[in-house]
Parts: sequence; structure tokens; C-alpha cells
Amino acid sequence: MWNEQFEATLRKHLPFLPDDEELRPELDLREFGLDSMGVIDLLVSLESEYSVHLSDDLLSMDTFATPGVLWAALAELQKTEERQ
Amino acid sequence: MSVGIIFPGMGPWGYGDLGRYIATNPHARRLRRTADAVLGYPLMDMYRTAGPNYSEYAQVAFLISCLALIEQARDTLEGEPVACTGPSFGGKAALAYSRVLPVAEAILLAARLARCEEEYFRTEHKDVVTQSIARTPGPALREILDSMAQRNEWTDISCHIDEDFFMVSMRASSLELFLKEVRAAGGFPLYAMRPPTHSSAFGALRQKAEDEVLGDLPLRDPCLPVIADQNGSVVTTADGMRAMLLDSFVHPVRWPQVVHSMRELDIKKVYIPGPDSLFGRVRCTTRHFTVVPIKPPRPEGRRPVNVE
Repeated sequence: MWNEQFEATLRKHLPFLPDDEELRPELDLREFGLDSMGVIDLLVSLESEYSVHLSDDLLSMDTFATPGVLWAALAELQKTEERQ
Repeated sequence: MSVGIIFPGMGPWGYGDLGRYIATNPHARRLRRTADAVLGYPLMDMYRTAGPNYSEYAQVAFLISCLALIEQARDTLEGEPVACTGPSFGGKAALAYSRVLPVAEAILLAARLARCEEEYFRTEHKDVVTQSIARTPGPALREILDSMAQRNEWTDISCHIDEDFFMVSMRASSLELFLKEVRAAGGFPLYAMRPPTHSSAFGALRQKAEDEVLGDLPLRDPCLPVIADQNGSVVTTADGMRAMLLDSFVHPVRWPQVVHSMRELDIKKVYIPGPDSLFGRVRCTTRHFTVVPIKPPRPEGRRPVNVE
């Protein structure tokens, strides 16, 4: 499961998700307000906060479909960075 | 301090996004009645069944929403706008706002242009898409396009949105390799538009729109300057407005030049009436202006489906 920092960052980009609503792994992020410009802003925030760079295969809207998919990508990147 | 108006370009907003606003807001309801009368069909019934796309109904609904929102906000603006602009589809709202045509005729014009485009793309350029890409600086994009040209693949920049944000038209068969090269350069592909837009390849569409819709339409000089999205020129005549609308088919949007022209007019604050998901949010805009979105109120609870 993701950490608090991830959830806090993600929630900042979901204008239509009420504060008291759970951030579920399968939540459709677009439905809750993450549009294309929001994806770019979120990408920049996450790369900065986690000191990672999304690899070519992750640079797509699909990576930002749900919290679960996004966190899995980010966690994998962090592991890769740690190994290097 | 001078203020300006930016009428947003259009995304394929679903009925749920605008339907409630048009059904309930007095300004929007009045415009909807005007639209129903001039178009000869119930706009919102047609829009509801058309789905989130760029249909004639969606385009007219988007137009009247933008016009209603600026009308609704008129008394709250900090000063009389010194100019307006409308990137891409927003040019039609800019035309109505600047009274180049009475609103009923502007609505009819938007519907007829939508039909004209729909007819054209039904048979022409069916294999062409317009792809948005972010985080791709101009020189990196140039390199990619040059390598595609060496492979005899056709491309055309349709929209310069910011220094690292573009829309590029190309054949669908070229898209996969293009996206691969964009990602390899650290860029982020967003979405592909079908039908495509703003390309020098669409000269026949410009001609069709001139012959069938705009050629002899009696336009008036705008009541305030309109900044053309193709080059940032300040348009003050009816002929200039006609050329601006027609050139929109074949010339790319050059948003940084529009921003430059607004700054030359000492505009410090811009109002954006309508559901903007792009031009009011890019750095090119936000670093130079105070941006005030004027949006339809959001329905309570979960956001209705909205795809871009």
C-alpha cells in the first residue's frame, strides 16, 4: 500500500474527490478531476518528491489511470533506483 | 490594470458537464432558447444523445455556455476588457462576444461550420490524427520531426501551446513511432484528436468553409480588439475576423504569440469563461497573467464522466 506522502500529493490533483472519501486503488482518477494538464503537474510533483524519472514505457496516460497503477509504477521505479 | 478575455478551446465535454448549467442558469437558458429557434431542433436533447465528442450539438452547447458565463460574470470583472481572444474553437465565442455577428447568427455560424467540417472529414484525411505532447521542448520536437521527414513521413505542427507543449498532425500509421521517439526524448504524449485540426493540408476545407458558410456572411467590425490565435495579430475589422476564422483551418495556433500580444496591450488579468482544460493552465499563460476561470458550477458529489 502507498504511503501518506503519495496520497497527499495525489489528492491535491483530484478536485472532485471529497476529503472524507477513501482513495481506493481502483479509483478512476480522470473521473475525479485528473485531466491531462493535471497529469503533467502530478508527474512533475512525483518525480521531484521521489527523485525518480519515469521510464519511457511509463510515460503514458495509462500510468495515471488509477492510484493502484500509479503507485505500482512509482514503487517499482524506487526499487530500481535503490538497486543502482 | 487592463483585463482581457480568453474564450477556451474545446474539449469533448459530456452532457453532464454543461447540461445542468444550460438547463438552470437564466443566461444560458435564454441562449439555449435562441439556439433552439435558430437551429430548428432542441439543442439539449440532441446534445444529450450525441455523447462526449465534437458534434455540432456539443460545439453549440460549449459556445452558449461560454457566452452565458461571461454574461453572468459581467458585473464582477475588474474593468472593461481591452481585448479578447479565443484559441481554436474559442474564436467563435470571441466573434460573438465582440459582436461581429448577433448572437443568434453566431450560433448558426458555429453549427454550420461544425457541419462543414464533419462533411469534409467524413471523406478526407480519414487517416490523419492530431496528437498532443507535453514536456517536449521545441528543439527536441524539431529533431523528431526532421527524422520523420527523412523517412518520408508527413507531419505538421497544429498547435504551439507552450515552449514544450505542442499538437502535431500526422498519419495514424506514423503515430506509434512518433510516440516512441517523444517518450525517448522524455516527452509525455497526451491524447490524439480525430478528426485532426489546424493543418496546412486542409486548404480544401478552408475553401469549402469560405464557399458554403463564411464567404458572403455580413460581418461587422468587432466592438473590441480580437487577438488572432494564428499569429497574435490584433484584429479590428470584419475582413480581419473573416480571415482569422478561415485561416484557423490551415494555420497552427501559436499561443505564445497571443500571450505576447496581450502583454503588449498591458493586460495583467485574464478571465476564462468556460470549461478550460488547457490554455489558461499552461505556464506560458500563468506566468504572465492572473488567471480567473469562470466555470459552470460543479454538480454536487461525484463528477460526471468527462473525457478529454
